Amino acid sequence: MSANLTAQSSMSEVLAAYPGAQRALFRRYHIGGCSSCGFQPTETLAGVCERNGNLDVAEVLSHIQSSHAEDERILINPKELAELRKTDPTVRLVDVRSREEFDAVHIEGSILLSQPVMQQIMAEGTNSRPLVVVDHQGKNGLDAAAYFMGHGLQNVRCLRGGIDAWSQEVDPSVRRYQLG
Amino acid sequence: MNDDLQKRIQQAMANPQNVGEMADADSVGTVGNSDCGEMLRMWVKFREEGGRKVIDKASFQSFGCETAIAVASLATELIRGKTAEEALSLKTEELAGELGPLPPMKIHCAQLVEGALRSALNPEPAPQPGPAPATAPTLLDSVSGAKPAGLKVVFLDESNDAGNSSPQG
Repeated sequence: MSANLTAQSSMSEVLAAYPGAQRALFRRYHIGGCSSCGFQPTETLAGVCERNGNLDVAEVLSHIQSSHAEDERILINPKELAELRKTDPTVRLVDVRSREEFDAVHIEGSILLSQPVMQQIMAEGTNSRPLVVVDHQGKNGLDAAAYFMGHGLQNVRCLRGGIDAWSQEVDPSVRRYQLG
Repeated sequence: MNDDLQKRIQQAMANPQNVGEMADADSVGTVGNSDCGEMLRMWVKFREEGGRKVIDKASFQSFGCETAIAVASLATELIRGKTAEEALSLKTEELAGELGPLPPMKIHCAQLVEGALRSALNPEPAPQPGPAPATAPTLLDSVSGAKPAGLKVVFLDESNDAGNSSPQG
């Protein structure tokens, strides 16, 4: 399906082919983050590019595709992570949610990202010790993972679906929640 | 997008300053909502300098937008050594610092940073400079709806209980 995307594809088709497209668009072009820069599902990719400073459609599509490929490489499934923790006790789980959410529920052994934690991770600068980013539902963790990778850490993964998927697929005692 | 601006944003993103929660902050401000990808939270710590209370350091947490992160990174550096009044007097475009003028579609990224800064520097809340937990509402505060400054966690198993809906749940 992804190979069939064209400039005339609707944004709903783009998002169906590349679920991370909105994040990719927002991060680089500031498109689709809120009502003031959002788009309609029925709008074409070309239309969105045109009203956002005449962006080059091919470049935008290429960016979406490369972001998608990168996302897939970074993500780790909950069950896969559970197995990894059994075989490698050095795995660090870094929780990037707010303190309120962390206090409410977290994966045992995970640590909340804070300034000291960040400094410690950066100071260690090791690529051998795996670091797995945990967020709520897999929406924000990839950005944090990208941040760590941007600092040269190579062994960084992101929990697919966040702690919400973990509670559904690995540990039901981790209570699911939503933000009100 | 302007290539030059994109380059400057990427440079700022390559080494963002002051990222993350500050455990010993004197105040914290939050704007936006993490669900829509536009939440930005800022922590501020003060110190005394020549009889003035100035900003010793500031940090932020944000996910989603490169520009907001870049602006927040620059702004948290810019306000060091300033009083709260001086920091609050900075214009939106000044917070973007060396990023230079932002195009219209990105101005609200800087406004997001400005909003978080105003929220953090608002002199009314944070009467006590206590240790870490005071910087953010506790879970109980949030769940009880006492007046959370930021996010509210609602357990799905609770929200499904009949007759126990919260005002904002």
